Amino acid sequence: MTEPNPPDTMLDRLRERLTPEEFPTDDRGRIRMVVDSLVLHLHPSKVPVTTIKWSYTWGLGGLSAVLMTILALTGIILLNNYTPSVPQAYLDILEIRSNVWFGELIRNLHHWSANLLIIVAVLHLIRVFLTGAYRPPRELNWLLGVAMLVLILGANFTGYLLPWDQLAFWAITVGTSIITYVPLVGESIGRLVLGGPEVGANTLLNFYSLHIALIPLGIFGLMSYHFWRVRKDGGLTLPKPVDPAPDPLTWQKPERVTTIPHLVRRELIYTLGWFAALLLFAMVVPAPLEGIANPDISPNPAKAPWYFMGLQELLLHFHPLVGAIIMPGLAITGLFLLPFFDVTSASVGIYFRSRRGRSLSLLALGLATLLTPAWVLLDEFVLDWVGWLPGWDSLISNGLIPLALIALGLFLLDGWAVKTFGADTEERVLFLAVFLFTAFVILTMIGIFFRGPGMALYLPWNMPAAVH
Amino acid sequence: MTETQNRRRLIENLIGLLATQIVVFALAFYIYQESTRIETAQNQVLNLQLEDAMSLYAENCAVCHGLNGEGIGSNPALNNPALAEMPYEDLYKTISRGRYGTSMPAWSKDDGGPLSDYQISEMVGLVQAGDWAATGDRVVNLGLAPLIPFTTQPDVLLLEQVGTLPDGPTLQAAIQLFAAECVACHGADGLGTKIAPTLNNPLVRQKTADELNRTITFGSAGTLMAAWSNKLAPEQISGMVSLIQRWDEIPAGAIPAPDVPIATTAESLALGQTLFSQNCSRCHGPEGQGTQRAPALNVKSFLTDTNDQAIEQIVTGGVPGTAMPAWGDRMTQVDIQAIVGFIRQWEASAPEVAIPTRGSGGGPPWLRTNSTTTTTNANTAATTQTGAMATGAGTGTGSSSSGQGNGQGGGQNQVASTPAWWQTLNWPILLGLTALLSIAFTLISKGYTTLKKK
Repeated sequence: MTEPNPPDTMLDRLRERLTPEEFPTDDRGRIRMVVDSLVLHLHPSKVPVTTIKWSYTWGLGGLSAVLMTILALTGIILLNNYTPSVPQAYLDILEIRSNVWFGELIRNLHHWSANLLIIVAVLHLIRVFLTGAYRPPRELNWLLGVAMLVLILGANFTGYLLPWDQLAFWAITVGTSIITYVPLVGESIGRLVLGGPEVGANTLLNFYSLHIALIPLGIFGLMSYHFWRVRKDGGLTLPKPVDPAPDPLTWQKPERVTTIPHLVRRELIYTLGWFAALLLFAMVVPAPLEGIANPDISPNPAKAPWYFMGLQELLLHFHPLVGAIIMPGLAITGLFLLPFFDVTSASVGIYFRSRRGRSLSLLALGLATLLTPAWVLLDEFVLDWVGWLPGWDSLISNGLIPLALIALGLFLLDGWAVKTFGADTEERVLFLAVFLFTAFVILTMIGIFFRGPGMALYLPWNMPAAVH
Repeated sequence: MTETQNRRRLIENLIGLLATQIVVFALAFYIYQESTRIETAQNQVLNLQLEDAMSLYAENCAVCHGLNGEGIGSNPALNNPALAEMPYEDLYKTISRGRYGTSMPAWSKDDGGPLSDYQISEMVGLVQAGDWAATGDRVVNLGLAPLIPFTTQPDVLLLEQVGTLPDGPTLQAAIQLFAAECVACHGADGLGTKIAPTLNNPLVRQKTADELNRTITFGSAGTLMAAWSNKLAPEQISGMVSLIQRWDEIPAGAIPAPDVPIATTAESLALGQTLFSQNCSRCHGPEGQGTQRAPALNVKSFLTDTNDQAIEQIVTGGVPGTAMPAWGDRMTQVDIQAIVGFIRQWEASAPEVAIPTRGSGGGPPWLRTNSTTTTTNANTAATTQTGAMATGAGTGTGSSSSGQGNGQGGGQNQVASTPAWWQTLNWPILLGLTALLSIAFTLISKGYTTLKKK
């Protein structure tokens, strides 16, 4: 290619520099475009045609990144209209609602994107789990992903307080009270996070700084690392047919197509589609806002943010140390250790590992759907450990004993899967994980929809209005 | 590229185009209606704040400024168009810092009061744009209706008796003055109310004349006690001082309690009806016509002779030596006042003499006569009236117990009476359970059979 002479006038030279290059018509040009572009070179220049199928990844990782971008942009706009002090914070939210042009739209977008992000991030984690994409060499990226999920929950939780209304104040009060159950250091950590003995002006300032600086910095940092590692680990895992499972040695690698237009086009459509849906939703459904926070009047029931309702539900059934610390701690630890425990590489890229894995997952799904509500009802109305074992420490009677029973139940389920169906390691992991995750989702739903005043069980359509 | 791939790509592109159009048109529409939305939102915010302010008014202000902001005695009215025109800053300053030389204290937390800056700004909103009739309803619903305005007439015979005491005429004049000016806050016989302390008390009598004189003349800072030198002559004040110091000589009942009807709203009547049928009807009869266990309430002879304060006193404290318990331990003042209001509205249609009824309360439910056939036409009229009001129950800002206990789905954790678990089953629960079980069993059987097939 010969370089053309630069144009004569400065204006022309400026124009030439700023007008986009012509869109390439051949694959060579398309590849060059990807490689030369700052944003696009996140992608490889060519991608396997099977990995860009909708039904393999569902675009969940990309959607998370899009939502993070929306959150960052709307967040910066909100920053300009917000003061993290009591009671100005609440007045500012009222001001955003009633006096700032498009203030309500921006706030709604921010609120709903944040809530959607939690769902999408969890679904992304599930997708990666179900296709076995966390296995070597992708262990590190799994860890980064789990760490980001924790940060996303942190960002949501800290953002929840900022409107400083009754909903925010009491949800954070309930949510942070869980911290104090950590043995030995719980009180100190609680005081550090809250900046005092209870939620107040210092908490607002702490949460504000976490929400607008520390956590976003962490998320965007990890996000870049996460993207880079995807490339370093050889791109996405390749989807494989379940039946017959291909031999890894003789299996034919799929055809590769150029990123432009095949991948970029779909990303653009997907982003536009979700943005349109989100925009419509944010225009129609306002983000909740209650009266100004009043530490003297607690609403009944006082619920944590919805994504922690599963935890709050556990707290209703177990001693706090077990329900709030041991069980979630085990879950997070399990997530972190998963890629070092389950390392089979043969089934990577196959949803649910195998035919048997699919059946076992259905079985686990059904069992958890049956057993979780049954156990909640049983514990609510029949089980009374503290009353049955008078004189025992409630940590043992209402914590370790039921925990041991549940562990025993899981052990029996596991043994059943091995003995009766001949499940191997990866299928056992899948079986138990599907069971536990379904149980957690059901607990969360019970907490959100079935708990009323006094945290008593109610049917959603008979739920009395919260008493303030 | 195959035919299906091409069609897919077309559909995907069309979805992208549609999404772009939605974004563009939705944004355009949103921009178009944004000014309307802002206006609506401002009204919503105002209403939200007025809503708060009404409760704050009931809790803090109604005592002096009256049920509907009409003012009590020397305390000014707030439902005043001129006041609503006052600048925000002036009103804010008056509420937050009080008014020197009047009984208006400083309400701001900065000045030792109970209200935050935000709450004071809400109160300014109420003065400027409040709905005073709705505010009055709120005050009644919260059971905070002021026991005022009232003055009372001294008992004529006892007043003559006072005249025979040494320096009798001074005391007589002071009693008359007290009945006209002070009784509203300091209560019948100077025994105090919830607003102001008792004066008929040995501790007060121990104070020196100077001290008492000073309090009456200059008021007591930080309380509702105003400086009365504006209104009373020095000799009136000194007369009042001697009344306070010699109250032990005054016969009880010289300054009787006034007859102040308890205010009601549709909501409080509905609450009263619910509470009456839950707690009182077993002994007093479903329509207050009395049973063998307790006297009739729905008769003129009772209702005209007993004023609301007296009924409230009876309900709260019970009647010693009878089966009437003290309900003050079990019910809030809001509840009791609602019941009194409910009983009082029978008066218009009550028969002169109680109509004897059979005892209704003993025995199994199928032998019990719940609907009394012996009531008069007037009574049924009253029932339909209250029945119509009851439909409005639970819709308002539910005061303490209305609406609770009803609509309980699972019926669990009710302290009062826990039904056995099978009694709580109804068809929505059964339907939900069936759905849940069928989903679970479908999944399990599907998983199980496919596993067994191998």
